[in-house]
Amino acid sequence: MKKLLFVALVLSFVVGQAHAADTIKIGLMGPMTGSWASEGQEMKQVLELLAEELNAKGGVMGKKVEVISEDDGGDPRTASLAATRLSTQGIVGVIGTYGSAVTEATQNIYNEAKIPQIANGSTAIRLTEKGLPMFFRTCPRDDEQAKVAAQTIEKLGVKKLAILHDNSTYAKGLADETKALLQGKGVDIVFFDALTPKEQDYTTILTKMKAAQPDFVFFTGYYGEGGLLLKQKKDMNWNVPFMGGDATNNPDLVKIAGKEAAKGFYFLSAPLPKDLPYEQAKAFLTAFAKKYGNPPSSVYAVLAGDGFRVIAYAIDQTKTTDTTKVADYLHKDLKDFPGLTGKISFNDKGDRVGEVYKVYQVNADGQFLLMP
Amino acid sequence: MEQFFQQLTNGLAVGGIYALIALGYTMVYGVLKLINFAHADLFTLGAYLGLTLLTSMALTNHLGPLWGTLVLALMVMGLIGLVGALLDRVAYRPLRSSPRLSAVVSALGASIFLQNTVMLVYGARFQVYPQNILPTAAIDLGGLSVPVVRFLVLATSLIMMGGLYLFIQKTKIGTAIRAAAIDQEAARLMGIDVNRVILMVFLVGPALGGLAGLMVGLYYGQINFTMGWGYGLKAFTAAILGGIGNIPGAMVGGLLLGLIEAMGAAYISMAWKDAIAFCVLIVILIARPTGLLGERVAEKV
Repeated sequence: MKKLLFVALVLSFVVGQAHAADTIKIGLMGPMTGSWASEGQEMKQVLELLAEELNAKGGVMGKKVEVISEDDGGDPRTASLAATRLSTQGIVGVIGTYGSAVTEATQNIYNEAKIPQIANGSTAIRLTEKGLPMFFRTCPRDDEQAKVAAQTIEKLGVKKLAILHDNSTYAKGLADETKALLQGKGVDIVFFDALTPKEQDYTTILTKMKAAQPDFVFFTGYYGEGGLLLKQKKDMNWNVPFMGGDATNNPDLVKIAGKEAAKGFYFLSAPLPKDLPYEQAKAFLTAFAKKYGNPPSSVYAVLAGDGFRVIAYAIDQTKTTDTTKVADYLHKDLKDFPGLTGKISFNDKGDRVGEVYKVYQVNADGQFLLMP
Repeated sequence: MEQFFQQLTNGLAVGGIYALIALGYTMVYGVLKLINFAHADLFTLGAYLGLTLLTSMALTNHLGPLWGTLVLALMVMGLIGLVGALLDRVAYRPLRSSPRLSAVVSALGASIFLQNTVMLVYGARFQVYPQNILPTAAIDLGGLSVPVVRFLVLATSLIMMGGLYLFIQKTKIGTAIRAAAIDQEAARLMGIDVNRVILMVFLVGPALGGLAGLMVGLYYGQINFTMGWGYGLKAFTAAILGGIGNIPGAMVGGLLLGLIEAMGAAYISMAWKDAIAFCVLIVILIARPTGLLGERVAEKV
């Protein structure tokens, strides 16, 4: 009996090895635990579903694709360990991760190991300004958001604009970029200042802002403060329209402000999964809901799926697992790949080309509607 | 000018809440010479308990908004007072005769314990009070629109402060509290049960803090388990500004701090609001090291 077991073990090992040599491995580095755990777990679900579908169609270069996932905990230190582990497992590329600071801790590890990395949620500008040939991202950059913000403000015919941030790197960056882009565009910035986050009384700020008589307010901070601003603005009987950055994209904003005060609030965001207007996206959403019982809630998980799809496509097209060639292909030859979140091409820096940010507005029922 | 008066009411509303919380710090300090770091978390707990009672018992539906809120406020004050007394019994009383630093460390521990308990019970996300419990009308004061709730917040704070002042000055137990604040040993020799006095202080101080928490919840709507930190810091500053250990000082300090913040933000810079408030604090403390009304404290220590 023992002997039999041993033989079985050896056999399975050999078969396993042979099997492993026959697959193409793609890594996933995501926050499976920690405060962004819901994002990471959804990223994994998306990749597993896509790999299953791809393998059912025959895989890549006639081989099965295998997803190897590691937990980065949403923490730079854990992430660098995860990256080291992943880079020794013969992966052809890696997808992830979500937070910019977490991604930054792993960029050089993958770059030195010559493994293409496609981040899905790291929007900080500096990540692609380092000239790392192996780094890509499917999510837009923070300055993209500023561009869309500026365009929207112009399109709405705003004459006197108030910009409010909260002194965080992200919010201040977005505010500064937007202000710079609107220079000389006929939009008068009558107010530019910061609030102190985590307070509850913003009436002082609103009173001061109201005195500057803006006809539009752009708030670049987070949803907790955004909700309070909307509520207290309504209590003051001030009817100026507000717009928020993508950090205000959270249903809790409506809960805090109340439906009445939140009504008409604009915010910028990468399209919510339910609004992705492409055929592939619709098929994917149906398949996802069928497999997991609910639609994906985060657009960043879908962006991870796009990272997976482009890398699998690049391997298939180049007919090689030579990672340098795959990265070259992504930089130069991949044009308008039909992604789940729209057409995908990368520029020399590894940034995604084209606009991804959309404008949303809250309706009377507190739902988020995509603006045409 | 209209903006000036608007900012004046803004500052007073926030200042009233600071003052109410500051009373808790100053009462405990006056008697025990202990900075009760857990006070800010009792304030948070008040906001959360208020939400639970409000949603589970639907008091405002049964009794109408006025009486419902009043009963709710009394319940929250009673419960937080009990938690405060329990806190004293568990965390401070066993350390009464040990060095003062041990009690401070115990206070910090109690603060962390309470904050994390709230997080584990209620979760880390924002909680939201049901809307439209308080009237949403606004009073028009010569072109100046001030929400009624704002008057209610300020009036409640002032009534509570006035009541506390009378309680301390006119009642027998108030006299005992003052006596214990001046000299615990001498008070004991005069037949005052000092432990009972301290228990009283830990009932009343936290009850006011809990009430402030409930008011913040009802007024602003959004509560979070970390909200005690900001308010606690400001209220503590207010207590020092007015002269810690001195009850009228805490009221003056709280209202003044609210005003300084509002005016600094309005006329100097919003991003520097806190820096301005603390600069004013430093200047006042250089001129009057015991705080604005702090001279009477000097004889206590």
